[in-house]
Amino acid sequence: MGEIPVFFLHGLVYAGLLFLVSSGLTLVFGMMNVLNLAHAAFYMLGAYFSYSVLNITGHFYLCLIICPLFLFILGMLVERFLLRRVHVYGHVQELLITFGVAYIITESVKWIWGNYPLGVNLSGFLTGSVNLFGLFYPVYRLFMFFCAVFISLIMAMVLYKTKIGIIVRASVDDTEMVNALGVNVPVVFTAVFGFGAALSGFAGVIAGPLLTTYPGMAAEILVDAFVVIVIGGMGSLGGAIVASLMIGELQSFGALLFPKLSLALMYMLMAAVLIIRPSGLFGEEQ
Amino acid sequence: MQEPNDILQVRNVYKDFSGLKVLTGVDFKVKENEKHAVIGPNGAGKTTLFNIISGKYKPSSGSIIFKGEDISGRSPHVLTRMKVSRSFQITNVFQELNVLENVRAGVRCDHGLRYHFLKTPGSIAEVNKKTEEILTLVGLAEVKQTLARELSYGQQRALEIAVTLSTEPELILLDEPTAGMTREETGEAIKMIDKVTASKTLIIIEHDMDVVFSLADTVSVLHNGSILISGSPEQIRNDQRVKDAYLGEEGD
Amino acid sequence: MKQRSHASLLAWGTLILVAGVLLPLAVRQYQLAILTEIIIFALFAVSYNLLLGYAGLLSFGHAMFFGTGAYTVAIVINHIPSLSFFGAVILSLSVTTITGLVVGSFLLRHKGTPFALLTLAFNALFYAIATKWHSITGGDDGLSIFRPDINIGFAQLSTSSIPAFYYITFIIIGLVMLFSWYFTRTAMGQTVLLMRENEERMKFLGYNTNVSRLILFVFTGFLAGLAGIFYALFFQFTSITAISIDMSTIVLLMVIIGGTGSFVGPIIGACVYIYLQDFLSDITDRWPFIMGLIFIFMILYVPKGLSGLIYSLIERLRGRRHLSRKVEIAE
Repeated sequence: MGEIPVFFLHGLVYAGLLFLVSSGLTLVFGMMNVLNLAHAAFYMLGAYFSYSVLNITGHFYLCLIICPLFLFILGMLVERFLLRRVHVYGHVQELLITFGVAYIITESVKWIWGNYPLGVNLSGFLTGSVNLFGLFYPVYRLFMFFCAVFISLIMAMVLYKTKIGIIVRASVDDTEMVNALGVNVPVVFTAVFGFGAALSGFAGVIAGPLLTTYPGMAAEILVDAFVVIVIGGMGSLGGAIVASLMIGELQSFGALLFPKLSLALMYMLMAAVLIIRPSGLFGEEQ
Repeated sequence: MQEPNDILQVRNVYKDFSGLKVLTGVDFKVKENEKHAVIGPNGAGKTTLFNIISGKYKPSSGSIIFKGEDISGRSPHVLTRMKVSRSFQITNVFQELNVLENVRAGVRCDHGLRYHFLKTPGSIAEVNKKTEEILTLVGLAEVKQTLARELSYGQQRALEIAVTLSTEPELILLDEPTAGMTREETGEAIKMIDKVTASKTLIIIEHDMDVVFSLADTVSVLHNGSILISGSPEQIRNDQRVKDAYLGEEGD
Repeated sequence: MKQRSHASLLAWGTLILVAGVLLPLAVRQYQLAILTEIIIFALFAVSYNLLLGYAGLLSFGHAMFFGTGAYTVAIVINHIPSLSFFGAVILSLSVTTITGLVVGSFLLRHKGTPFALLTLAFNALFYAIATKWHSITGGDDGLSIFRPDINIGFAQLSTSSIPAFYYITFIIIGLVMLFSWYFTRTAMGQTVLLMRENEERMKFLGYNTNVSRLILFVFTGFLAGLAGIFYALFFQFTSITAISIDMSTIVLLMVIIGGTGSFVGPIIGACVYIYLQDFLSDITDRWPFIMGLIFIFMILYVPKGLSGLIYSLIERLRGRRHLSRKVEIAE
């Protein structure tokens, strides 16, 4: 009886996580026209950093602040010193360099933390369960979901209420135009890229205690996030929300109803969207 | 309404780009072997009209009838195979290839040599012959081994026309072929265009009135997204509305 | 000049042929095995470069064809008793080709970033199928196979020894590679090049560019499938590695190291990669990390790859002779 609401909540939680990852991906794509293949590697780094920070300090809440900050800096460095250098050679080279970064991060993780799963152990309030209308649900999952919603709200506020947000949204629409207005677009690019990395890293931090922290976790979420932005439409934040919810629930209920087919379902959905609308649900038609 | 020798009819074509109305009911006819000029102030929608006739865009409504068949919304490659061909206002050729290869690309496609896994592009004598013919016709035979990007501006424009002709079209659409040329080059270009489009139907977008009046049998004036008037060059020259349309633009 | 290039081509061809035939007499078995592996990966890399170098299409999913070939050949050999060597190869190639058609029909309208992303997603799907469909693919355990003998009417040729399999690989893949080179000069090959140059104009010249992309995609899948088939036959084993994104990464590394600008680039890349891997894995477990550094270094400082370096060296030596037939990624 209680199964359906539980799986629905599971789906929501995963959708929140997916949105944190895919929103940065789609924002960077919309602005810079670069699909950042290292995006999920930033997510993984978030999880691993958080593992170490937790081991050293013992405070999980600290991880939530330190790790995204670290990835913000790392992301900006990658944009400034690698991505920008190959910009003149075109999209293929840009994709390749982010791919190279992802590869190196994965190999570094294997080197530093080992090629095996790590458990992140929480303590205190977050480990318990809470009574939701007669349904016992893990506090941590709820915490994840509220984190995702909270961050998304902050992001929406920044994008729609601040000057920097207006610039970012304007350069998603038309980079040259914003350039012509005298805004220093390269700096905005670097910052947005770093911000995307931080978002992804934050998602990694909160995913760590729930999902396993292991070197394959990047590839795992990368494919899901890609499917999200293909379905939602590349460059569309609204599309990312809708598609995250679709994929989150699909995976959750897929695991309940058709455990063997849950992965195939996701691809079938993607294939169906591609046939009907090749540019995604909210993407601009070519 | 349909006369047997109308090769092209544009019927009540509308086009808007997410709310921006560019064409608001364009109507005109082109007879077989006619030299038809489309003129009009900047932003009147001339290139959009070409993009619709040649299949780059679908009309929002209305239809294009080519040889009695409704072709509106068909893909460019289908239209090319039906013998409609267009040039571009900004030279749009294969810059990293030489002149010969540029022209041969169209000729071989016309001869069905598109996706062949065994034959090379130069393996059909007829293709080579036709390619040479076109190169001679437009006066590029001597530079056929030169890369397109190394050509002079005038030669690039000639190559643009050569590539347009390479598919052996019956209806040729030329989008400002003399744009950016000197007076002298323009004169040469007109002679060449006159020569290469003999016994073919031509629609030409042009700004230079000398070109229009020396080349065209019929002139249509496009203004604010629809045809103001169609008629002989003489009629157009003396029409008050045309004068107003152009003066209005200059007054801006 | 044309005469001369034909002559030099013939000279190179003869040299490679003689070297290929005589080599087994000169080197040790271990070296011969590495050489066989190089030939197989060279074909894989060449097929990949037809997409990346010639068509400008970046794929992260080329292993789906390599893996499909490798799995199909293992499955048909294990399930159809007394299937001949060529029977198995042809059957597996047909399956790979059909796979290419199906996947390609989803991708034909896409290029650039969406193409890259979708190939990655499809590769992930193929990988998931291979791991989950345990009864057919053996899941994580993989599949072991025996190489069937070759039956040529009056005689049986054993394929089990390293030199025997080397010769078979050298002949068959050599011929296919020769054809791939010829392909770049055919009408279809040139259509692909022209499309990368200016796809819009190609449409206005009467080419159906979506169909062209599909044909190319299926053809490169076919070649990659053949490489995968030989990979499985060579190791007499197919595992999920063959169909993983890691395998797609390997072929990308090879092509980037060798250079996308010429036909031989990927062959050089396959050679260097396999020897480098052989060498590095002896001294450190961190060799993939070093490969990653090499990859980034190549992208940043040698975007035309080793073959580009060699070409510019030759050009300098010959005093800037015309080398206009280039296919480097120009955007």
